[in-house]
Amino acid sequence: MALKKLSKEKMGEVLGELSKFRLVAPAKSDEVVVFKQIGDPQEAFLDYGNSTVPPKKFAFPQTETLFRFMVGSPELKEKNVEEEGTTVIFGLRPCDARAMAIVDKLFSWDFDDPYYLKRRELTTLVGMACVEPPSVNCFCTSLQGSPFGTEGLDMLLTDMGDYYLVQSLTEKGEKLAETLSSQLEEAPAGDEKKAEEMARESEGRIRRSISTAGIPEKLPGLWENELWKRVSAACLGCGICTFLCPTCHCFDIQDEVDEGGEGRRCRMWDSCMFEEYTLHASGHNPRPTRRERTRNRINHKYSYYPNRFGVIACVGCGRCINLCPVNIDILDILDQVVDAQ
Amino acid sequence: MVDVNKLREKAKEVVSRDDVRLLIGYRPGTYGFRARPAFVQGPDEADELIFTPACVNNLATYITLEEKLPVPRGQEPDLRKVAVMVKGCDSRALVQQMEEKAYDRDRILVLGIPCTGVVDMAKVEAKFPGVLQRGEIALEGDRFVLSFNGSKEEVPREELVADKCLRCRYPTPLVYDELLDEAVERFADDDYSDIAELEKRAAAEKWAYWEEKFSRCIRCYSCRNVCPMCYCEDCVLDRLQPQWMRRSVDISENTAYHVSRAYHLAGRCIQCGECQRVCPVDIPLMELNRKFYKDVEELYDYEPGTSVENPPLLSTFKVDDREDFIL
Amino acid sequence: MKNPYIPHEVKILDTWYEAPGDRCIKTFKVTFTDEKVWDTWSHLPGQCAMVGIPGVGESMFCISSSPTEKGYLRFSIMKAGKNTSALHELEAGDTFFVRGPLGNNFPLEDWKGKNVVTIGGGIGQAPLRPVIQWIRDNRGDYGELQLIYGARTSADHCFKDEFKEILEEGECACHLSIDVEEEEWPHFVGFVPQLLLEVAPSPENTIAVTCGPPIMIKFVLQNLEKLGFTPDQVYTTLENRMKCGIGKCGRCNVGHLYVCKDGPVFSYAQLKEIPEAFA
Repeated sequence: MALKKLSKEKMGEVLGELSKFRLVAPAKSDEVVVFKQIGDPQEAFLDYGNSTVPPKKFAFPQTETLFRFMVGSPELKEKNVEEEGTTVIFGLRPCDARAMAIVDKLFSWDFDDPYYLKRRELTTLVGMACVEPPSVNCFCTSLQGSPFGTEGLDMLLTDMGDYYLVQSLTEKGEKLAETLSSQLEEAPAGDEKKAEEMARESEGRIRRSISTAGIPEKLPGLWENELWKRVSAACLGCGICTFLCPTCHCFDIQDEVDEGGEGRRCRMWDSCMFEEYTLHASGHNPRPTRRERTRNRINHKYSYYPNRFGVIACVGCGRCINLCPVNIDILDILDQVVDAQ
Repeated sequence: MVDVNKLREKAKEVVSRDDVRLLIGYRPGTYGFRARPAFVQGPDEADELIFTPACVNNLATYITLEEKLPVPRGQEPDLRKVAVMVKGCDSRALVQQMEEKAYDRDRILVLGIPCTGVVDMAKVEAKFPGVLQRGEIALEGDRFVLSFNGSKEEVPREELVADKCLRCRYPTPLVYDELLDEAVERFADDDYSDIAELEKRAAAEKWAYWEEKFSRCIRCYSCRNVCPMCYCEDCVLDRLQPQWMRRSVDISENTAYHVSRAYHLAGRCIQCGECQRVCPVDIPLMELNRKFYKDVEELYDYEPGTSVENPPLLSTFKVDDREDFIL
Repeated sequence: MKNPYIPHEVKILDTWYEAPGDRCIKTFKVTFTDEKVWDTWSHLPGQCAMVGIPGVGESMFCISSSPTEKGYLRFSIMKAGKNTSALHELEAGDTFFVRGPLGNNFPLEDWKGKNVVTIGGGIGQAPLRPVIQWIRDNRGDYGELQLIYGARTSADHCFKDEFKEILEEGECACHLSIDVEEEEWPHFVGFVPQLLLEVAPSPENTIAVTCGPPIMIKFVLQNLEKLGFTPDQVYTTLENRMKCGIGKCGRCNVGHLYVCKDGPVFSYAQLKEIPEAFA
């Protein structure tokens, strides 16, 4: 793995070069940082903590067409993801890349999801190491992650002050490094060690933690525990925690028809915290209150998912804690799970 | 500011009553300066209750949020009261809910807290980033005093106070069974100066402005769910048959969503500002709601949520109602 | 990559009502418009399919015909929501779309040589019908077949003609019930769980399969236990709201199991461990 150096003055050039692909990077919209497709390298906002909304929508769009049709016609026109072209997601945080690696397991489980997998195949992930943990509620190190983690990434950039250290991690990353060969220089000797040290320091500055050992096994036994009532009492039943979660992947499928009969079947993010999510056409709801829905959310992440895919579906990005309107705190819930008898 | 010991004693007394099922108040949050809603069912739980300028949530929302499951055969429904702590703005939500006959007055027991203003938590966290250990905020004179990590910092009130509090007309609750402190005078009148600029813009400019904001919306519905006035059991947004609004998230449906909500709140919004506070992508929703609020006040001399005796504006008709704006 | 979200068009060969009312039940007998689809289609009793109309939506239904019935599929659908109401508008010659087969099946291979008793209620007979048909078409492979079925009224009974035929054949025991007394009803009056106790099938080398309203299933399971059936001798099917049908969209899970993917067929031994299974 060859280490390269990218001087900061050349960032504009690099982003310009990458604009020949569909380039996705963090950008500022008022005070909110979101990942978006950028045309002008000036739009990229790289001096950020983490984005409010994770970049998952570039693998799993909030709304996407599965196929189009004319009402009454038997012909269904499948959406061709390849038309979206090769994508580079630039500057995402290691936790968000790791989240994609976790969600990949679900979308390739038994039935391959052609939309998601095709898009992932066409996407290169260029991460930006967290030299400083971006939020007080970061806890990636509790979940096998690291502010310098590389899982899921094709390339990792580390801010060394005047320049970025560039590390190609996969074949896709190598290929991208080749594309950028005229902007990259040899990395100074000793940088690898220096970066390792920075990683350790950053990990040391992560301040929240949970010991996840035993939680997946313990959760099923706490089904009727009164803790669920307690932790869900304040829940408003909105979708913030799930929509902002980089590993949440549930969706709804809906048909939409325009005047004239042109229609599409599409899927859109859905949330297990919504009442309507499990509501049967009969009116029966197997998860009738916020208690059952909160319990399902935690169980799904910390028990069902590891049970099936061997990994907890949480990367410790802290978004659900930061932005919950009523301060429902997943670490507080997990602490109660650990303490529960 | 209300004395915390007095507050806890009162809470204990209230939750010990036979006719009270639950008390909704505030307790310290899980980190930093946050506070969160507390659901107290017994006197032993009352000792964690607080009221500080960090208590931003409008608890009136919870009165209508509780799911009503069918009562099992042979059991009686629990008709005991729910006690709720409210600030001035929050109390207006109760008033408006009762104006609309959402429930009977005797179903709730209201503990009023005269409010000297809450903080804007985003401003607090921007000024004091990365505070993990629980800190406290108090108002002393015209300064907020923030105690955290063993130190104290003083900040002028206007630097951290929520914008809505700077124009609050009703800091003392308008409905209560008991007031937990001396009534406070209004701080300032609302002159709507915050929306003056937006009002002056041309239609195309307004459109561009909102298009940019609404394009960020992820339709998490936190603005709807946190809203004390959004208590319809069957929301028009969730309906599939007929389907009034698509679930696709795009500028067209997002706009339809926010505009519909603003219209549904016209003459009903009580200015608690919770929708804007909770929006994860910072859409300035109160600008819409305040424009409607202003129009309603100017056209009908009506302020929602100020008197239980008032019939809801949009379900009344007077022969001398203005109609010169009708096309 | 095969796209599991793309449905196939089917043509309605025949359609009729099974039961009347606001929530009436209609059966559709269909075949693929493109006959070549049959070459790639194979299902087993218990499996499901997404049934729908582009522009309206899709919902999951069990395939109520057995693979031994060649050249067509059957679906029996209760009118409940938007999609089922639109489907109910369709008549012979019309088309809709089917995506599947999805989910697992009853382990009929493992049941060879055993007696089978089916206990159904209302529309819950739909997933049991292919089991019964399969056994009738592979009669030599199985022991005794006993049918227990009930609905609110005689008019609400699904598959009336077939039950009549089975009763007339007399080859397997068939016990029917209605909830409340009706004139000239020659069979049992009462709830299905009571009828089960009345019939009292022996658990000896027997598999019990039940499907119906949740409250019925609850008492049927209790009564099967009373009769000496062990949880691994009892099978049922679950249903939940579903969207993708292939274990991605999330909503149909009961505990760690996806009904669409790990089910809909579960043994009671499996479900006993999952408190959410009968929520």
